[in-house]
Amino acid sequence: MAKKISGYIKLQIPAGKANPSPPVGPALGQHGVNIMEFCKQFNAKTSEKAGLIIPVVITVYSDKSFTFITKTPPASVLLKKTAKLDKASSEPNKIKVAKVTREQLKEIAETKMPDLNANDIDHAINMIAGTARSMGITVEK
Amino acid sequence: MKSYKKFTIYTEPFNVEMVSSFLWDLDIDGITENDDNLSVFIVETKSIGTKEISEKLRQLMDMEVIENFTITEDVVEDQNWNEEWEKKINPIEVTDKIVIKPSFRDYDAKEGQVIIELDPKMSFGTGEHETTKLVLTLIDKHIKGNEKVLDVGCGTAVLAIAAVKLGAGKAIAFDNDDWCLLNGTENAKLNKIEDKVEVRLCEISGIEEKDFDLIVANINRHILLDIVEALKSKVAENGKLILSGLLDVDETDIRKVYESAGFKIIEKTQMNEWIALVMKVE
Repeated sequence: MAKKISGYIKLQIPAGKANPSPPVGPALGQHGVNIMEFCKQFNAKTSEKAGLIIPVVITVYSDKSFTFITKTPPASVLLKKTAKLDKASSEPNKIKVAKVTREQLKEIAETKMPDLNANDIDHAINMIAGTARSMGITVEK
Repeated sequence: MKSYKKFTIYTEPFNVEMVSSFLWDLDIDGITENDDNLSVFIVETKSIGTKEISEKLRQLMDMEVIENFTITEDVVEDQNWNEEWEKKINPIEVTDKIVIKPSFRDYDAKEGQVIIELDPKMSFGTGEHETTKLVLTLIDKHIKGNEKVLDVGCGTAVLAIAAVKLGAGKAIAFDNDDWCLLNGTENAKLNKIEDKVEVRLCEISGIEEKDFDLIVANINRHILLDIVEALKSKVAENGKLILSGLLDVDETDIRKVYESAGFKIIEKTQMNEWIALVMKVE
């Protein structure tokens, strides 16, 4: 028989760096989940993505056990990594801070595809291009 | 213990992806996504506050991604968040010989069993995890008596404590987490071996001693790849290194880096998807 789900927890934490402090500790602790067990598994499964922010959805069951799935990093985080950019533009319409190529957008779109509500890869590329423009990143033709 | 600033942020519309990704421009420590708001956590010693977060959110307003926002600020004191889970833990028979039990539970030890008393609180290493079981089993196999042991990233210090209770002469256990110093020291006292297990708050660069007969490191792939040379400099001639915290998919990378550094893998054990490797310097 399937175990009864008692709740979902959604966090964003740096890859390979989960620890029992906030936000992980209070979010999992109130559900009576073994925090260290989660951290150990999360860090092992994301350590090769060091430097990226990983959204994670944790399913907590009534017996206090848990499973989790990691999502793709936010598009803007991937764009910043690709464009070697620290921060988005404070005035994206006026101040352009970086450039990305269409091919680079396609790579990001392919990475994000499982988590995007996109019909196809071209639709996904257009969504990522929109995020890029909103950050002051120019898309090269 | 550290305190954290907690900012609860409501935006209209509630665009989690864009709002959170702009907040990650700041040096924040993590985000909880709630039904209609985000909770952003920042270590209290960092200078980021409502002003800096508001500036980021105003950028999103200028871009017409959001129409408005509100922010509330609280302080969260770090504490033993694991308390609720701790209430249900029971003694664990790691092997026929090694038993880990919380100090508040009774256990009728059989002849020849080694009982390790452990209150995990907020540190890694409770004996429940496959990697802890793998390493404890290997420690039992490779400790012959009177060794000098180094426990790298010690958490509860369970590995150092086990090594001494199984016959090692002395163990140094270290971690870079405040909780581990407190908790590891408490656990050494619980087991009445505080004279043989020294717990320190430091990185591996803070360990001056060398020539350890056995080094145990149950951490993760990323860190183990980074500290290969430091570990090599600490292990004695004919000493052994036990690595874990590794998934089976990590084995190729670990083998490549450690064999290039001069280690020879002499044993591998596995439990589910987790592995442990025993090495010697060639």
